[in-house]
Amino acid sequence: MEKYDVVIVGGGSSGLAALKQLSNRGKQAILLESGGKVGSKSVSGGILYSKKPKKANVHNVEDVYENFLTDAPVERKITKYILHSTSKDKVFSMDLTSAHEYEANFGYSVLMNKLNKWFADQANESAQKYGGGIIPGVHVRDIKWDGDKTIIYTDELEEIQASAVIASDGVNSEIANITGARKKFSPSELYQGVKVVVKLPEDIINERFGVSSQDGAAHLFAGDVTLNHIGGGFVYTNKNTLSVGGVYHLDSLLENPVEPYEMINALLKNPMISEFVKDQVPVKKEIDKNLSKEEQIRIRFATTKLIKSWQETRDAVLSSSGRDRLIKSGKYASEDEIRTQLSSLQTQMADKYGVTLETDYVEVEYSAKLIPDGKRGRMKNPFIKNVLFTGDAAGRGIFIGPKIEGLNVGIDDAVRAANTIADALEKNNLSHDNLGKSYSNSLEESHYTKDMKEIDKDYLKIFLDTAKDIPRDILSSKYGMVIKLMSNDTLRNFSVGFANILGYEKLLPLVESEETYVKVPMELADRLGEKITSSYTMSIPSIATRIGKLNFSDDEMSHIKVIKPASDFMKKMVTLCPTRCYSIENDKVMIQHEGCIECGTCYEETDWKHTRGEKGITYQYG
Amino acid sequence: MLTPLNIAVIVKLEPDFSEGNVSYNPDGTLNRAETKNILGPHSALAASAAFYSKVRYGAHVSIGTMGPPNADLILQSAQQISDADETYLFSDRIFAGADTLGTAELLKAGIQKMQGKMDLVFSGHRASDGETGQVGPQTAWKLGFTFLGNVIDYEVDVEKRTVRAKRSIRLQGFHDIIEEVEAPLPVFIAIDPSYKSVFNTASQRLACEKYKKEANDRAQNFKQYLKVLNAEQLGADPKLIGLAGSPTIVFKVEKIPKGKAGRQAEVVDGSSKEEMGRVVARLRQALSTMVIK
Ligand SMILES: Cc1cc2nc3c(=O)[nH]c(=O)nc-3n(C[C@H](O)[C@H](O)[C@H](O)COP(=O)(O)OP(=O)(O)OC[C@H]3O[C@@H](n4cnc5c(N)ncnc54)[C@H](O)[C@@H]3O)c2cc1C
Ligand code: SF4
Repeated sequence: MEKYDVVIVGGGSSGLAALKQLSNRGKQAILLESGGKVGSKSVSGGILYSKKPKKANVHNVEDVYENFLTDAPVERKITKYILHSTSKDKVFSMDLTSAHEYEANFGYSVLMNKLNKWFADQANESAQKYGGGIIPGVHVRDIKWDGDKTIIYTDELEEIQASAVIASDGVNSEIANITGARKKFSPSELYQGVKVVVKLPEDIINERFGVSSQDGAAHLFAGDVTLNHIGGGFVYTNKNTLSVGGVYHLDSLLENPVEPYEMINALLKNPMISEFVKDQVPVKKEIDKNLSKEEQIRIRFATTKLIKSWQETRDAVLSSSGRDRLIKSGKYASEDEIRTQLSSLQTQMADKYGVTLETDYVEVEYSAKLIPDGKRGRMKNPFIKNVLFTGDAAGRGIFIGPKIEGLNVGIDDAVRAANTIADALEKNNLSHDNLGKSYSNSLEESHYTKDMKEIDKDYLKIFLDTAKDIPRDILSSKYGMVIKLMSNDTLRNFSVGFANILGYEKLLPLVESEETYVKVPMELADRLGEKITSSYTMSIPSIATRIGKLNFSDDEMSHIKVIKPASDFMKKMVTLCPTRCYSIENDKVMIQHEGCIECGTCYEETDWKHTRGEKGITYQYG
Repeated sequence: MLTPLNIAVIVKLEPDFSEGNVSYNPDGTLNRAETKNILGPHSALAASAAFYSKVRYGAHVSIGTMGPPNADLILQSAQQISDADETYLFSDRIFAGADTLGTAELLKAGIQKMQGKMDLVFSGHRASDGETGQVGPQTAWKLGFTFLGNVIDYEVDVEKRTVRAKRSIRLQGFHDIIEEVEAPLPVFIAIDPSYKSVFNTASQRLACEKYKKEANDRAQNFKQYLKVLNAEQLGADPKLIGLAGSPTIVFKVEKIPKGKAGRQAEVVDGSSKEEMGRVVARLRQALSTMVIK
């Protein structure tokens, strides 16, 4: 049996950071990832933060990847952060940039598929120096202990022995389940995230969001856009795409099930978001059915080809790097020349094939994933024997108001797990006791753990300062009163202190309610908001079209087995599965696993596994 | 230190038969100028079989093809798959019009010009554009190598210098038979279409990933690894190659007449429950009348 010092399960941003950090420490590690491409199953919003907390320490992404700041394919540095309260066509906005900048070095918008690939290249190259590396397409199905041996079983490879294991296998951690390290997360400990990536040329993004090519904006939404669920929406600017999505408390969704497909549509239909995503979209004319078959095919091919070159030219014209590239390549002498070519292509499309340009939007990817709420579900002891859990697998996600952080937390955890093991290897003390204790202690020192445990009064103050000018009478009196009280420094310090003694468990049901997430924002919007009208009717793709755009490698064997076909929970999955994998017949729920995007929503009452090696979903954006 | 394995792969440029890429002349022959060329699928498998030896035994791999100057692009594709150390393009006007025998003669000369003495030569099962599968055996015969066809799996004993191979044999009326054979090197292997390299230990997979990356890097600079050889440089006997060395005469190519459709397709709306119900009922009915032998 082959043996490695460390085996890491899962190649999301957390597992990859563990591999890189172990290599930074000169230790041998291999990383097993079930996806055919590393990182292609991860979904994020996402803004990747680097933090500089005053009191505790954290390990940031740029500490792990030394060339992150110069080379990493991040999208834009977020410099504007705005919270919108919505009610129908009314929107009330508050600038929360100071909350976003609070104790932060930076926050970049990122698309995880691209970024994880870069992380993987860096980590793999370092790991190879010590006889390790990344092995994609391998699904870990079991871990067993035999005397002092730790044996890892996979669907694809012969057994592997390891001195220690890092489980970074995401929110639906099978490792946690198999080893009994923790129970499955309950819906109250989870959020469902749904997202679409929308294509939009760089220059239009710059202009529409009032940012330069490097900078970006984050817009957050609360109010009726969540269709009365606890949660919120977001629009993040990437280089030449927008990430539009929402995260909703799973409990709240189970109480009042609405399809994820509809949740995202509700966001898109909000007039402010509709205006954010709109673009010029070519629309083909119906081909004359009286023409010969050959001629019809010829026209179809030629139209597609012409539209494609129009699109490529337009994307290039409307982006600084695209223009430079075309001019440098010698294809065009100047920007004007490219523009002339673009309008000539446009005329050709119209004159030859009747293609018209209409205002609409272009969706390129639909995705969904559960996110753990660390305030409620975080593993108190994130280890079992010599297996250390990091990131989503350990339930370590931060949700506070508009704040969603998981990427930075998972990276910090990974460094701590890697350092714990590296120290143990150096001291030759790999006892389970030592590993678990050291890792737990290290996590306790993390700023993020603190964030998951208690309210930070300075962060709270930023919100209250922003809300200062809101007339008190406008908020349902309960909240008006609270804001009034909390605006006073002494009273605030006192009440936060008191609240923290009470603890999140008692506090959360009060703070995270339909009232705070939906009613108050709606009231704000209704009474103070500005009316926004959308200038077009968007054509929202059908669910079949959305699924059709995704890349799947089908497995004949289902990775999910329904074990309670008649349970209430399972019946709700018929609505809550983002890709409609469930249907009901004779009062029994059945699964069609082929369209499963491994979001994890149905995890609680199914026998749920990730797909076997290289199977299942591969995201392009993530 | 064991002598490393030396491997050659012969690959073939083929028209891309996927939709929209293939084009025919009015007389039914292939319009080569209009049709896109790609590395044939069987050739790609042969390249992946060589990659297996690279990963398992650190083999030195050379790839060769006969074709026009732009066939270097399919060598690039093959290098991407196999992480070849060298690639060879045998290109000369006088090669045109060669049948399988003329091609085999040329490939023999080409393989002998590659660096080192070959232990293993791989070819695809056959090409998909008209050739009927003789090139492999004919080249093996000309080289004087043992020929193993329809190979679905192989292992090399680098020390004893033997190869053990599994061959899939299809005989009418029988199920697939798997024959296991052992032969001393050098051996010529024609890879079966169902071949798939399997790496089942972590260290093999790590090596596989490492070589894949090397292959990517190499393929990006493929010209650096490429040698182009003409007839003279190959030193092939002009009487045995090209049209002169080809006894076959193509008499006539006929279009396969379109059969009268015996079945009628019906378009079903997949989102309609009733329509899908009807489909299920029809399928049930069809299945119930089927006799399972
Ligand atoms: C809509 C949405 C918005 C978000 N927004 C933000 C944001 O703005 N900022 C932020 O910081 N965070 C955000 N998050 C959270 C963040 O994306 C996650 O916390 C983070 O991606 C988790 O990383 P991870 O490495 O722990 O897990 P994952 O990225 O889920 O990686 C787990 C990996 O393990 C693999 N795996 C699982 N089981 C096995 C097995 N048995 N064998 C082999 N491989 C296995 C999986 O294939 C996967 O690749 C958001 C999440 C969502 C869904
Ligand atoms: S079947 Fe797949 S996509 Fe549907 S809810 Fe379950 S995990 Fe998500």
